[in-house]
Amino acid sequence: MKRSRSPEKGSIFPIKVAELKKILQDQFNNNPDLSFSIYEKKDKKLAVFFIAYLVESEKIENFLLEPLLSKEIPWANTSIKNEIPLNGPEEVVNLKNILANLLLGKVYVYIEQEQTAIAYMLSKKEKRSLQQSETESLVLGPKIGFTESMVTNLNIVRWNIRSEDLVLERFMLGKREPREVRIIYLHSIANSDDVQTMRQRLTELDIDFVEDSAILMQYIEDSSSTIFPQFLSTELPDRFSYSINKGKIGVLVENSPTAIIAPTSFFSYFESTEDLYMRWNVGTFLRGLRFISFLLSTLLTPMYVAAATFHYEIIPPTLLVNLGLSRAAVPFPPILEALFLELMIELLRESGARLPTKVGQTIGIVGGVVVGTAAVQAGITSNVLIIFVALSALASFTAPNYLMGTTARIIRFPMIILAGFLGIIGILFGACFLVIHLLKLTSLGRPYLSPIYPLEMKDFNKVLFRLPNQFQYKRFKSYRPKDLIRYPKQKAKKKKDIDE
Amino acid sequence: MDININIKKNLQIRAFYLFFVIASIQLGIGILGVSRLIYLEVQQDAWISIVIAFFYVSLIIMVMLLILKQYENADIYGIQVDIFGKWIGKLFGTFFIFHFALSFFSILITYIEVIKVFIFPTVNDYILSFMLLCLVIYSVLGGIRVIIGVCVIFFFLSHWLLILLIQPALQMELTHLQPVFVTPITDLLKGARVTSYTFMGFEILFLIYPFILNKNKAKLPIFLGLGWTTFLLLLTTILVIGYFSFDQIERREWVLLGLFKIQSFAFIERFDYIVVAEWMMVVIPSLILLMWGITYGTKRLYQVPQRATLYTIAILCFIGSLFTNEHFQIQKVINWSSEYGFWLVYVYPLLLLPIVLIKKKWQKRKDGDHHVH
Repeated sequence: MKRSRSPEKGSIFPIKVAELKKILQDQFNNNPDLSFSIYEKKDKKLAVFFIAYLVESEKIENFLLEPLLSKEIPWANTSIKNEIPLNGPEEVVNLKNILANLLLGKVYVYIEQEQTAIAYMLSKKEKRSLQQSETESLVLGPKIGFTESMVTNLNIVRWNIRSEDLVLERFMLGKREPREVRIIYLHSIANSDDVQTMRQRLTELDIDFVEDSAILMQYIEDSSSTIFPQFLSTELPDRFSYSINKGKIGVLVENSPTAIIAPTSFFSYFESTEDLYMRWNVGTFLRGLRFISFLLSTLLTPMYVAAATFHYEIIPPTLLVNLGLSRAAVPFPPILEALFLELMIELLRESGARLPTKVGQTIGIVGGVVVGTAAVQAGITSNVLIIFVALSALASFTAPNYLMGTTARIIRFPMIILAGFLGIIGILFGACFLVIHLLKLTSLGRPYLSPIYPLEMKDFNKVLFRLPNQFQYKRFKSYRPKDLIRYPKQKAKKKKDIDE
Repeated sequence: MDININIKKNLQIRAFYLFFVIASIQLGIGILGVSRLIYLEVQQDAWISIVIAFFYVSLIIMVMLLILKQYENADIYGIQVDIFGKWIGKLFGTFFIFHFALSFFSILITYIEVIKVFIFPTVNDYILSFMLLCLVIYSVLGGIRVIIGVCVIFFFLSHWLLILLIQPALQMELTHLQPVFVTPITDLLKGARVTSYTFMGFEILFLIYPFILNKNKAKLPIFLGLGWTTFLLLLTTILVIGYFSFDQIERREWVLLGLFKIQSFAFIERFDYIVVAEWMMVVIPSLILLMWGITYGTKRLYQVPQRATLYTIAILCFIGSLFTNEHFQIQKVINWSSEYGFWLVYVYPLLLLPIVLIKKKWQKRKDGDHHVH
């Protein structure tokens, strides 16, 4: 045997086929899924090995084994590479590399006495078909949601943003089970500092494996002690590509149907892509409605508790009579009454979420109507409070982002307790604390309350309300995009007189 | 101790935030009762006193800016050490820290008293004082950027209260303001002197000036802030005089809060409860800025970590607030604070300016001589 060149460092080839089989079987703990077949022809031995269920077996049979065994292709690396009708043959020598890539669905061909093995990517992944997103539903606009398959998701993103500017950086995260993670951004728009921060946070992450994007999000968030989400998670490709186009950074994780978007501000949790599909004035109304409902859902019940416990004077006399009548039969102080009802609503919501859809609906009706009415008749709560609690629960579901809706519901509990002990002063204390807390938060190093602080008046029409498109010619300035201008400013011609 | 300071890039602030800083620190507890105090001195000509005070404060601010401009990037602590030497300079710096601490304490206990009088007559002092100090500590821990953020956001969150003044404005009796220009000038000056406690706070400029990114644009926001405070003061004073009679004003300690009682909506009868609670958002920014002044000053002068000062002062104020809960004690603290502040803030810069100018000129001449020889 003549060696044309010395073997590369770390190479295990050339090796006897039987030896290779033994090494691999040892590495995989004699796993029956490791398929290792040996073929012999004219004193030459050829091994084909892969992991069953990870690869497309029809392709292996039709395009690899069929030509090799039945046609007269000489068994040598060069002829195999040239004559096998499969895409992207790769020569590998390193055992570690082979082991890692076997798990990603590569198929290897090795001819005894050759210096390298040849690998083909033939992975196959079972996936569900594209479906409408369940957690974020839209009335207008594209309906499909991301799936668990990275290939499908990348396909959707590529079709949404067809630009050579789109960068999809690939990372393998997790020591034990490496999993593919992609950072996605537009190179000429996204702020490079932010991209670098995200890159750094991902590369410095030293964990065994990433279960889901929601967990990855918790690993790389700015502050882990806060109740507010700092990265936006979405199942909607249109929202994802809209944010990427604004200059934000997206992250996709293999096996996870939710994408991460960063950096975000507090106000972006209240925008929905639907606001953009609607007319600007309608969109403004809807966005304002969501801000108000966030306030309602956190403050309404505490206000009731404060007024009913300490400040009867605040309530106008006519209302006070009604309130007094409905509270006359209730033996508990308002704080207990409110906490009891809020707890009930939370129980209904939680049981509704856990149960199958059909049973869930029934539970909603039974819980809402029957228990609610019964509670009033039994004299446990007052009518007025039921209205308030139901209203604030409804309001909390208007947040387009599920994480923020949950946050709003949870904030309510400490607020009720503060209101029960210190009345309106307690509520204001809680509110001040929350505002200061929001001020201290950052998302990917960017202030959470922008554009209010740091004050950027020009961003208000993208965040707090919307203006007609001729005023939307700039991107969101607070995140310092590389390219601020979306399109040149367009001015409509003004009529000088009525009939022209 | 360095006279000029290098501020890191991430701590610098844009000049227009000074508007919020000045307006937030001046609007605090003083505006609640100052209309009555001026009115008792000069009756219907109270607004003239406020205008006089405005011009005097403008003069002081010009003087302060002139002093600050003599240096590259210095604050009052550095300037005093440069002028008076290490020991006396530090002593004068301590006077400023003491002034901030006294203002801080007076605002804290006054607001607690307002809450007790208007909402909870029986509540324990220590709960309210603990809550307020918690908020102060929590935001000062965030550093200068968070502090200014609090000023900006609470400014927006508290100014909706002005809407509630529309109703009393409509019911105002303009004849209460007539005849004008009847008070002798000495009384007018006395009236202007009364506003000193309310206008106080702009001396924070002496500390915050080095943090400003674009110093050449600082003047406008400062005077806009001062102008806004003056406007609100004028507005509320005119409303108070126009709405209440002499006896009514005399009887009300915080006469402004009385004005908020008039407005009522279909679902809220008495707004003064809400206003007193909401006033927390007016008080907190001034408390925070003053506390920052204390912690930053001790760090500059004595190299004490800001965290340590923050907790110490908070604990001291907490203990102090437990023992000053009688009305006359609180009035005494306010009087001390306003007397002490008057000399330090309204008189001292006028004395400091010529000394700084002379020293700088002398230094320049000396440097010039140096070059020649």
